[in-house]
Amino acid sequence: MDENKKRVLEMLAQNKISTDEAYRLLSALESEDSTSEGTAKSGTAARIKSKYLRVCIMPGPEHEHDGKGDRVNVRVPMSLIRAGMKFTSLLPPEARDKVNGALHEKGIDFDMRNLNPEDMDEFLEALSALEVDVAGSDGETVKVFVE
Amino acid sequence: MKRPPMLMHVKIRGERRGFGLWLPLFLVLPLALALFIIMLPLLLIAIPVFWPRGWRKRALHIFGAAFEIFNSMRGLKIAVQGDHHYIYIFLPYKR
Repeated sequence: MDENKKRVLEMLAQNKISTDEAYRLLSALESEDSTSEGTAKSGTAARIKSKYLRVCIMPGPEHEHDGKGDRVNVRVPMSLIRAGMKFTSLLPPEARDKVNGALHEKGIDFDMRNLNPEDMDEFLEALSALEVDVAGSDGETVKVFVE
Repeated sequence: MKRPPMLMHVKIRGERRGFGLWLPLFLVLPLALALFIIMLPLLLIAIPVFWPRGWRKRALHIFGAAFEIFNSMRGLKIAVQGDHHYIYIFLPYKR
C-alpha cells in the first residue's frame, strides 16, 4: 500500500480526520497517482473525471461522536446538474422573467435567457475547481466540493 | 444513451422504528409508458390548444428532458440525519 494512503488511514483510525476528509485525501492521492503515470488528460477527460457535487454538513465537535446534531451528506451526479440546466431552457418566458426578477431583487444581476449550452459546459467545468468550506460559530461545518 | 436507474435504496429511521427498502425502478418504466399511452389523447388535444402560445416546442421536449433527468439520477445519494430521524436515498450507479 502507498505510504501516503497508509498515513491517511492511520489519521482516520486515530480520529484526527473525518471519514469525508479521508475519502477526499484518498481520492486526491489516487488522482495524483494517475497523473504521475503519465496519462495525458484533455480538458474533456478532466471534466468527465469530476462526477459528483458533494454537499456535507457536519455538527460541531461536541456532537461528533454522540450522534446528535444534524448531518447532511448529498452527492449529486454532474450529469443530473447538466440535465437540470438543460431543463431550464424549457421554462416558459413568463416563468423565466419571474426568476430573473427574483434574482434581481436579491441583488444578483443574472439573466437566464443568456444561458446557452456553451456557457453551461464552461460553468460545469469551472465547478470542478469549486470548494466551499464554512465553519459556523457552534462548530458545525458546511463543505461543498466536486469529486 | 444513458441507462435509467434500476433500483432505489430508501432507508427511513425514526426514534423507535425504521425500515429500508430497495425499490425496483425498472418496474416504474413500463408503468410510466402505460400512463403515457393513456394520457396521449389528452396530450394530442393540449398541443393544438397551446400551439399559438408558443408552447409547442416545450410540450414536445418536456418528456425527453424529464426522461433525461430521470436517467441522470444514477449515483444520486442523499443522507440526512437529525437528532431523532435518519433519511437515506441512494440510486446505485452500477446495477
